[in-house]
Amino acid sequence: MAVAWIGNRETLVEHAAAHAAALLWSSRCPVFSFDTDIHGTRAAIALAERVGAAYDHADGAALARETALFTDKGAMTVAPGETRRRADVVVIVGELPKIHHDFVGELADTTPDLSARNEREFFLVGSNGTPAPPLVNGRTATLLSCGQVSLGATLAALRAQYRGRQTSQSVSNFDDFAKALTAARFPVFLFSGHATEGLALEMLQGLIADLNRKSRASGLHLPASENGWGSVLASTWMTGFPLRTGFARGFPEFDPWRYDVARMIAAGEADLHLRISTTIVRPQKKRNRLALIALAKTKEPVAGAAVTIAIGEAGVEHEAVVYSSRTGSLRSVDAQAASELPSAATIIRLVANNVSAEAALPC
Amino acid sequence: MLTKIAGGDIIDPVNGRLGKGDVWIRDDKIVAAPAAGAADRTIEADGCIVMAGAIDIHSHIGGGNVNTARLLLPEQHAAHQARPAATPLSNAGWSTFETGCLYAKMGFTTVVEPAMSPGAALHTHLELADIPIIDKATLAILGNDDFLLSMIRDTASSTMIEDYVAWTVASTRALGVKVINAGAAAAFKENVRTFSLDDMVPSYGVSSRKIVKTLQAAVEGLGVPHPLHVHCNNLGSPGSADTAAATIAAAEGLPLHLAHLQFYGYGTEGKRRFSSAAARLAELVNATPEVTIDIGQVMFGQTVTISSDVMRQFSARGSAHPKKAVIHDGDGNGGGIVPYSYGKDFYGTMQWAIGLELFLLIDDPWRVFFTTDHPNGAPFTAYPALFELLMSRKARNEMAAGLSQSALALSTLAAIDREYTFEEIAIMTRAAPAKLLGLTDRGHLGGGAIADIAVYRRDEDIAKMLGKAAYVFKDGDLVVQNGEITHYRWGKALRLNPSPDKAMVRRLEDYHQQRYGLSLDWFNFPDSAIAREQPFGEVPCRT
Ligand SMILES: [Zn+2]
Repeated sequence: MAVAWIGNRETLVEHAAAHAAALLWSSRCPVFSFDTDIHGTRAAIALAERVGAAYDHADGAALARETALFTDKGAMTVAPGETRRRADVVVIVGELPKIHHDFVGELADTTPDLSARNEREFFLVGSNGTPAPPLVNGRTATLLSCGQVSLGATLAALRAQYRGRQTSQSVSNFDDFAKALTAARFPVFLFSGHATEGLALEMLQGLIADLNRKSRASGLHLPASENGWGSVLASTWMTGFPLRTGFARGFPEFDPWRYDVARMIAAGEADLHLRISTTIVRPQKKRNRLALIALAKTKEPVAGAAVTIAIGEAGVEHEAVVYSSRTGSLRSVDAQAASELPSAATIIRLVANNVSAEAALPC
Repeated sequence: MLTKIAGGDIIDPVNGRLGKGDVWIRDDKIVAAPAAGAADRTIEADGCIVMAGAIDIHSHIGGGNVNTARLLLPEQHAAHQARPAATPLSNAGWSTFETGCLYAKMGFTTVVEPAMSPGAALHTHLELADIPIIDKATLAILGNDDFLLSMIRDTASSTMIEDYVAWTVASTRALGVKVINAGAAAAFKENVRTFSLDDMVPSYGVSSRKIVKTLQAAVEGLGVPHPLHVHCNNLGSPGSADTAAATIAAAEGLPLHLAHLQFYGYGTEGKRRFSSAAARLAELVNATPEVTIDIGQVMFGQTVTISSDVMRQFSARGSAHPKKAVIHDGDGNGGGIVPYSYGKDFYGTMQWAIGLELFLLIDDPWRVFFTTDHPNGAPFTAYPALFELLMSRKARNEMAAGLSQSALALSTLAAIDREYTFEEIAIMTRAAPAKLLGLTDRGHLGGGAIADIAVYRRDEDIAKMLGKAAYVFKDGDLVVQNGEITHYRWGKALRLNPSPDKAMVRRLEDYHQQRYGLSLDWFNFPDSAIAREQPFGEVPCRT
């Protein structure tokens, strides 16, 4: 089975890795985007340092909004396990990514065992068209909405109304919500950077802070991408900074605008793109001058890529460490269907070994 | 390979070696002077002092809360200027890589992360594994978790409680157990806002004292070398000295370690009702031989407080500087991250003076440990300056001159003449920590010990001398020369490995299935998940 290509020509992995290293070494402005496990991320960041690259998640915008909540404002958060065991009111904030729908279903299927209130009510903050995750047991989420206005504006109205202020737009079913909060011991707001503007996340935290003046409440962060949030964590401990960090000047610099890799590609700033993903990626418009190195789960060369190397899926074809939004921490996953395909980390290290460096610290 | 460190002033209190002499290293171990044969390498240590590598028993260097603090404060740790890129990530700011390098440069070779949330054990160990050069260890947090509180409420047998503690320590790869404001995090989830030693956790009817005593007994019963590590109630409050005094009295003859005592050294005298109770606490510690403490010294400047005492951090969030904080309700403790700047005002001066008073008024250097509770009182990079304050009355007086005199008037610091000797420093930062943690293979320079050795060139300027070691060996590898890293390697995380009781594992499996809807597999991990050769080193329990 072919696993490596230079252009459309099949080759040995070692040759493809050496060619990738040469391209990276001669690149003026290399950028990395990845959707990979913890060890893939660690290897990618080590390589980024060697070649002076900037890095980001493959779908970095939603994660950047979540990251900005923490870097700019801070937050009150709660663990998923405590949410299951304690939340007597669950408020779904906006549209949650599909990957979290099962957990919301589980919340609907259970009642909090650590709460004196043995019940759980659901609300959904959003516009009239916001899709709610399917709830089981015939439960429904009461809609808190100001019609078609943005999520941030709806949350602002909700917060103002909760504080007893005049609002230009009233929130639907507010009285039900107020009643639920009065009885609630531990309301939890489920939030994500997916389909949410950053101001909405800040407004939500303002509401949670208000609630905590007299009683308890918190927010459950359900990241837009589990791999993405895992990469945020690994990047933060390795460099001190989250994703959208670059090594252009030899040391890590965090700049969520400048090192937005999608922006760097669109603006023509980048001349080489290393893309690491085990999910099938939609073909991109071919851009002039931008060479592509693709590490992907593929049986054929990625269209337009200067180098393609096949990798296995983390936690499926090889053991992996991944972020789990179900536990709110990192988790070790066995290979469920082990294959011969190498991990992203293995291939990235192979490339790194071909990049000349005086570095003495193996990653 | 045979190495000779020749002609240094040896300071090795454990083996009674004080004075000029040689230390020999064969491969990774210290050995007696060989009868014959020449050294392959000789380090001239004339004009230097030679001590074992230092051990830090309480420094928040990795894990969920530490990483959240990094995430919260990118502006606080801007990267360094570009240096020659000789070493990977050598120019990162507050990172795992920098942590290992900065510790090694000061001659520290083992550091304990004292607050590992059991549910974040894998995350914590991955971070620690990315800290180069030094060995690490963790303490697992218990005492706010539903499983333990329920067992205490239901008067479970001491054997069952020990089985649970053993399982926690084994599965999280911890070296000991810590309890943080016992019961308060659980109470905070039920909207309780202050919590003392004899307060009850709602829904469990279990007091904070009962939790501490239960865990103290379990740790003792299991033969965990490190005594229960206690973060008391009421941290930071005026009058918290009463809480600390009550906790010291609660040791009742069994070993107990109180963390960062400075943060409880507060009385309620003076017009601000905030005064030093350090003399009183020091006297209690002196009179209670089963108690050990570390200080949590405050030094001035910007830092960030990182604590699993979520109730305390929640109440401190208003003092955040800059104005942002993270408060997390976790499965057990959770935690809070509140950035803070210690100013040279009345309060900052008082805290600074109280820490020094405790250092200087507690007589036995085997029972007082050198910490700033990094980064809570100050980042560990303040250690060299702190050594100088302990070793030089002149340095203390010079510093005090620029501080709040009304605060100093409420402290005994100015009247204290004591200056720590190098021998006392060697006890406090080497011999005693090794003993406290049950690490017989380090903390001294006797034959058979691992070759963790720090060599410092004598200098009038103590901070300079102890801040940049002339030579540091880790497991026999020469890793630092003239205060700079010259060789990279990976250390281990030291852990206990008691075998878990099968019935307890079954019980926990059921509990996790029922209460969390998850099997234990979601929390367990194999050593291979760390992706390094030999990530762990095993330390035996007492038998
Ligand atoms: Zn601490």
